[in-house]
Amino acid sequence: MATILINGQEYPLPEGEKLNAIQAAQRIGVEIPYYCWHPSLSVVANCRMCEIEVGSKDPKTGEIRMVPKLVPGCQTPAKDGTVLVTDSPKVVEHQRMIMELLLLNHPLDCPVCDQAGECGLQDYSYSNGQAVHRFVEERVVNPRKEVAETIQLNADRCIMCTRCVRFTREITHTGELQVISRGSHAEIDIFPGHPVANALAGNVVDLCPVGALLDKDFLHKQRVWFLSKHDGVCTRCSTGCNISSEENRGEIWRFKPRNNPLVNDYWICDEGRYSYKSANDPSLLTAMYARIGNELGPVLTDQALKSAGQELTKVASEGGKIAAVISPFLTVEEAYLLAGYIKGLSPDAVLALGAVPVVGEDQTFTPDKVKGRNGDTSFLDPKPFTIHAEKCPNRKGVEAVLAHFQGEVIDFNALTGRIAAGEFKALYYTSGSPDLWADEEAARSLRSGVSYLVVQDTLVTPLAQLADVVLASATFAEKAGSYVNADGRLQYAEAALPPRDGSLPDLDILAILGGRSGGPVESSAVLAELAAKIPAFGVAAGGKLPTYGALLGDAPAPLPTNGDAPTPFIDAWSKTRAQIGTRSGAGATR
Amino acid sequence: MRPDDPSLKRMIPPTLKLHEKFYLPQIVGGLLVTGKHILSASLGKGAITVSYPEDQHVPSANYRGVHRLNKDEQGRVKCVACMLCATACPAHCIDIVGATAPESWSDREKYCESFVIDELRCIYCGMCEEACPVEAIELTGLYDLTGLSREQMIFDKTKLLSVFDLTRDAEPMRYTTPPPKAGPRPTEVEPSGLPGPKA
Repeated sequence: MATILINGQEYPLPEGEKLNAIQAAQRIGVEIPYYCWHPSLSVVANCRMCEIEVGSKDPKTGEIRMVPKLVPGCQTPAKDGTVLVTDSPKVVEHQRMIMELLLLNHPLDCPVCDQAGECGLQDYSYSNGQAVHRFVEERVVNPRKEVAETIQLNADRCIMCTRCVRFTREITHTGELQVISRGSHAEIDIFPGHPVANALAGNVVDLCPVGALLDKDFLHKQRVWFLSKHDGVCTRCSTGCNISSEENRGEIWRFKPRNNPLVNDYWICDEGRYSYKSANDPSLLTAMYARIGNELGPVLTDQALKSAGQELTKVASEGGKIAAVISPFLTVEEAYLLAGYIKGLSPDAVLALGAVPVVGEDQTFTPDKVKGRNGDTSFLDPKPFTIHAEKCPNRKGVEAVLAHFQGEVIDFNALTGRIAAGEFKALYYTSGSPDLWADEEAARSLRSGVSYLVVQDTLVTPLAQLADVVLASATFAEKAGSYVNADGRLQYAEAALPPRDGSLPDLDILAILGGRSGGPVESSAVLAELAAKIPAFGVAAGGKLPTYGALLGDAPAPLPTNGDAPTPFIDAWSKTRAQIGTRSGAGATR
Repeated sequence: MRPDDPSLKRMIPPTLKLHEKFYLPQIVGGLLVTGKHILSASLGKGAITVSYPEDQHVPSANYRGVHRLNKDEQGRVKCVACMLCATACPAHCIDIVGATAPESWSDREKYCESFVIDELRCIYCGMCEEACPVEAIELTGLYDLTGLSREQMIFDKTKLLSVFDLTRDAEPMRYTTPPPKAGPRPTEVEPSGLPGPKA
């Protein structure tokens, strides 16, 4: 078996994987600091922060020969017999000197810089650097400029890691960014008149290890240490990108991509990135409404639910047909509860998939190991990133639930025709979409086809104006649940915000209507029940999903081949902080 | 400091002598002190109270009273909305809304749009002063802090700046720092003078 020697200890190397020294050390919990290396970008060894002592062990004689100079860890393959020394005085002194060099011209803007709190320079200068530096000359002050409509470049904070340049060349193949000038005058810049304008532009902000590239949408709004992160899934298209929704004071401030090598790698598109705004929309429904007499007025939550439940039961007992529209914006659990509730009212009720918004065509970014690369690519595992035209998160999940409950999937358009023909007595309509599905005309025709209409939505839509009962439901940020993306991958999203006043999460609304007993309903319990009943969801047995989600219909979840997430700087920092905590704790007991 | 540090001095409680074990001499001694105070106060020499509000009490120089927001030479608020005071505050009484500074403010890119301190919740520990990298927030010697409602005790930016105008002569800014952008590292700044009330 292949083994590697790290800091005098021998460790087995995982088979069939191509790792560099940073990744191999990370696997066993040894941290090698780095700035310019990124697992999805070519290796250029610019920053020199990851330089370590490297050598090799002769398998026959057991003799260790070290390379006389320090070698960048990002470029060092972890092979059988590789010897790495990451903690020798030579390496530590080197890291200290690199930190001093990087901070020569770096303005100490930490009080105003948005990167403070998740800045690589801040973290490594604390853990690997020194408190003073000897530079007495005048600092080079590079300008601050706009490189895109949404991105600001503070060139004076840049440490020339060129991650952003490599991203636009290698992942998006648009190449908007470049290095201009050389030596100490080197700067990142755009070609004059050609700002960064691609669908993934916002990722360069996440890539930047220091505060040089900043998102103007988030600029100066919040300090990052106030934000609480929640692992979510983007709901703006059927790719199902893994995101972390960062929230403070009941408002979402930004989305950041979360690594999932099987879905979105390290990226999200700009459309998804800025879609957090619909969760903070001031025009979201703040109360439930019911028609009393001829007027639609706000009522208490239990009153609205009671009147909807009673009326639907009445329609069913009188033999009237009920139709339900299950939105592809609902989670799998909600679709299951809604389908179960409506089918429980009357077995001949009809369930339909809500309108599936499609905008344009699928856009795929396919990086390869050759095109646009300007560094070592032997450690790369480039993955394509697709922005789907289908702008809903859960069409496949709702279809699977519908197929289980009625054997077929009825299209929204087919249902509207049947409603117009007067086939149904009552309609239960769900949306949860930030876009409008039914304009005023469509709403009127839907309304005129049925005598009782329940609308479960987040916004005041033309259809809600005509409804008998409006149930204020949760936005994507306010509910937890699972979505099935375009590839059939079932993924779990946490709730980021509590339900806003006057509303209830869809799962609670449906649990109350369906008369489920046993206290507040939990999405994991519903998922477990669903997995036991519907064979397609067997992967979610017990209501638990693996980190990277699971493919529908598959028995066990396949393990990712290359699951190394780069340790974000913030994680490295919290580790250091934990160490300080134990140290001061020991001091207190003495 | 290590436990075996030679400069450490060990304190051993003294053992009581026989007359101390009876306690009565101590009680008599205490009563004598009390009697002395009663006598000196009633004869009008040693009274330590003041007739407030006719006589104003002057607190010591390191007294921590109402906050103020300092202004720079151009009369702008010094705060750069870094939120370090709000982060350091153990009572969570500081609420800041930051915003990008106007174009004309060349020395900084961020300022506080709103700055609110709930003086009722504040415990006057001075951590905000300690945390501030630009010496924008300071605690003054004003102890006369009263209000007729809770709302009156929530100090906004205007009120905190007016406290600065009120106290700038009596209590000059403790540190004078050059603007953050061109200046040296905040950690290297030496205090230019000792704090203290103006004569």
